[in-house]
Amino acid sequence: MILLERLIEALGSDAVKAAPEDLAAYAFDAYTDGGTPSAIVLPGSTRDVSATVKIARDCGEPIVARGAGTGLCGGAVPTVGGVVLSFARMNRILEFDERNRRARVQPGVINLDLSRHAAASGLFYAPDPSSQQVSTLGGNIATNAGGPHCLSYGTTVNHVLGLEVVDAGGEVFSTSVEDAGYDLTAALVGSEGTLGIVTSAWLRLSELPESVRVSLAAFDDIDSASEAVSAVIAAGILPTALEMMDAVIVRAVEAAFHAGYPTEAAAVLLVENAGLREDVAAAQDAIESIVLQHAARSWRSAESRTERDALWAGRKGAAGATGRIAPNYYTQDVCVPRSKLPQALRAVEAAARANGITVGNVFHAGDGNLHPLLMYDRRDRRQVGAVVETGNEILQCAIELGGTISGEHGIGWEKREAMTRVYSTADLAAMARVRDVFDPAGALNPEKIFPRGARCPEVVPP
Amino acid sequence: MRTARQRVAPESTQALSQMLARCDRNGEKVRIAGGETLAGMGLPPERADVTLLTTGLSGVIANERADLVVAARAGTPVRDVSILLASQGQFVPFDAPRPLDATVGGTLAAGWAGPRRHCYGRARDYVLGSTIVLADGTIARAGGMVVKNVAGYDMSRLYVGSFGTLGVLARANFKTIPLPPKARLFLAPLPERTRERACTQLSTLAIRPSAAFWIDGFHQAIDGDEGPEGRILALLEGSDALLERATLALRSALGRAGVPQTRVIDAGAREAFERVVDAYVACLGERSVTYRLYPLVPDSQRTVIAVEALARRFELRNETILDVMNGDVVARVSDFDSQAFGAKIEAFDDALHESEPRALVVASKHPHRARLRVWGAPPAAIERMRELKARFDPNRTLNPGCFVGGI
Repeated sequence: MILLERLIEALGSDAVKAAPEDLAAYAFDAYTDGGTPSAIVLPGSTRDVSATVKIARDCGEPIVARGAGTGLCGGAVPTVGGVVLSFARMNRILEFDERNRRARVQPGVINLDLSRHAAASGLFYAPDPSSQQVSTLGGNIATNAGGPHCLSYGTTVNHVLGLEVVDAGGEVFSTSVEDAGYDLTAALVGSEGTLGIVTSAWLRLSELPESVRVSLAAFDDIDSASEAVSAVIAAGILPTALEMMDAVIVRAVEAAFHAGYPTEAAAVLLVENAGLREDVAAAQDAIESIVLQHAARSWRSAESRTERDALWAGRKGAAGATGRIAPNYYTQDVCVPRSKLPQALRAVEAAARANGITVGNVFHAGDGNLHPLLMYDRRDRRQVGAVVETGNEILQCAIELGGTISGEHGIGWEKREAMTRVYSTADLAAMARVRDVFDPAGALNPEKIFPRGARCPEVVPP
Repeated sequence: MRTARQRVAPESTQALSQMLARCDRNGEKVRIAGGETLAGMGLPPERADVTLLTTGLSGVIANERADLVVAARAGTPVRDVSILLASQGQFVPFDAPRPLDATVGGTLAAGWAGPRRHCYGRARDYVLGSTIVLADGTIARAGGMVVKNVAGYDMSRLYVGSFGTLGVLARANFKTIPLPPKARLFLAPLPERTRERACTQLSTLAIRPSAAFWIDGFHQAIDGDEGPEGRILALLEGSDALLERATLALRSALGRAGVPQTRVIDAGAREAFERVVDAYVACLGERSVTYRLYPLVPDSQRTVIAVEALARRFELRNETILDVMNGDVVARVSDFDSQAFGAKIEAFDDALHESEPRALVVASKHPHRARLRVWGAPPAAIERMRELKARFDPNRTLNPGCFVGGI
């Protein structure tokens, strides 16, 4: 087969995999599986990426770039086959510029590894998706990943200073946010591998705060908890993180991690404040009095680093802990205006109950970014159907509340049809114009983001 | 350049759409104008049949106070938005020069990046969504009113900083953040041979000022007494505790740099900061050009010295604002009369770009401004930018020739 021969010739046999078990392993991400790829390429350099793209183009094969495969909406699934580019070997921190608080990294560097490396200089990388122990910075850039600390630090796009990119023709170009001209960096971040393949990135690092306090507020009902969140935001207080977990999640987490969560509570809020110690103390006091006014039954602050880390470990491992409840779970990801949280949570609960599905809520409450986890058993077709229906109803409710269909996971393959529910044909056509400039043949991660039938020529108005 | 005879100020997105569609069909070129505070940026359009004033599209249209979200029409003065937000304890760090005149849309379209970006980010980082009218009249929305949104490409960010060449912004939605409760201005004249050490000390402070400048010149425009090596001006924002600790830290840092005399002002601190930002685009009649250069922080001193030396060589007066926290340098070169200035500035511009390829012109009323390399050296990805322009505005209707690389 000419594709494999040419890839091996250009990159060496070590970098190319095509055994059936390899191909099957790369048909998945954390959402679903899809078509079988023709080859897996593990590039070691930008030149390898460029060579792969050129060969794939010559052979008429699409390209799907892949980080750690932790994506939750099928963004890295090769739905129409093609060449999967896995960045597992491009995992070096290339430059570390302490003075300017920035680092240049290859796309396969694991998110948490960058923060670990930077800690010695009193710095860290702020975006912290729950997958940060395994997910890669390249994947984070492709999805414009979020995380609990985006409440105060902003999402990935605010931390990308420049990119080196291989385009659909295999040519290399670079971008910088300081360059005059269009902000191509921002256009590429969050484009889910459809505009180019990032081969290195300059990332902004943030300073570690002098003081960090984490507290847990427990509530007897979920309405009071969500009203407390809205009240904190409305009071003009922005903690560094403001996370919420309902009873289903709290119990699962406590069973798995013994993090010290109150298992009898209907909902808990995890509140983090960071910064100057006086400011942190003042913010903690202000939030404490707001949550107590909203009927919190308890407010407890971590007294040590260990206790703090345990509270966070529970939050970050929450999704995995649901294995105790059901064999499978589906994570929905929607964002609503923060004042609409109580309504949104009531709607989630109603949708789940109507479809006979157990739901657990663990999410970025301060951002209004909901993550209902719908529990099911994938061997039961009825349950699968009920989960799909529940997810759909939650999506619709978010839209009706003035929200959006994805807060931080992306559109990928899963939600592309839903794009027409939030954007008009003209809105999508504007996006398609950008796609047309960077990837006119649609060879980069096909069948993602754009709804079926929305190939560029069809949606660009006459 | 032909001057646009016709001036139009549509008062609705629909009217704007109809107007652009008509111009695009008829081959009429459109110059886009907001408050014209950044009119010294970019090149004049190669042709302009119609001047589009966005000031007809004015006003805050949604103020979701409890959500920390606000939406304004593009022609709304920045000051109007800031006053409204301040009244409810919020702000967006626009850092726009002359905010009374500057419009929200113009500030975004010019990609304006202010001195407080190192701690708050840029105005564009606060854009949650937008409505844009493309050259053919298409009205397209991007993003929305929620603080996290990854549904499709971040089109708002592409429009922001596009200088109106991809489309005309009609509306922008912003997230807001709590306004720091207190502000304090810190001033210090610099004795001989203290500049470099003082700047180094400032840029490495543990509690960072919201903004810090080394200033040479701009006497009437900016507060503070000048020393033999200019002056330091820093803005502290936050709680009483932060102000106190930061003031102590600043005093001792400058003391170590050999700067004994310092002064703080609490009343009018933010206004004094705004006067510095105003000075970024202040012109001395037709006899000045203001450049903005973007070296990395450690190279800023070298850049300042290089520009000073060059100005001396051409016998031009040079005034400088060094943004100590971000590292960028604002340099205003001028002469006593516009004729003498005109004789030198093109040669100066050539020489400057030889050593500093990324020097951008941010302000000038000089009649031959179009002959200068106002956008500096073209960025690496210029060809892709041209392709984007061709795809969004194939007839070159919007601000033709104003932007990078003649876009």
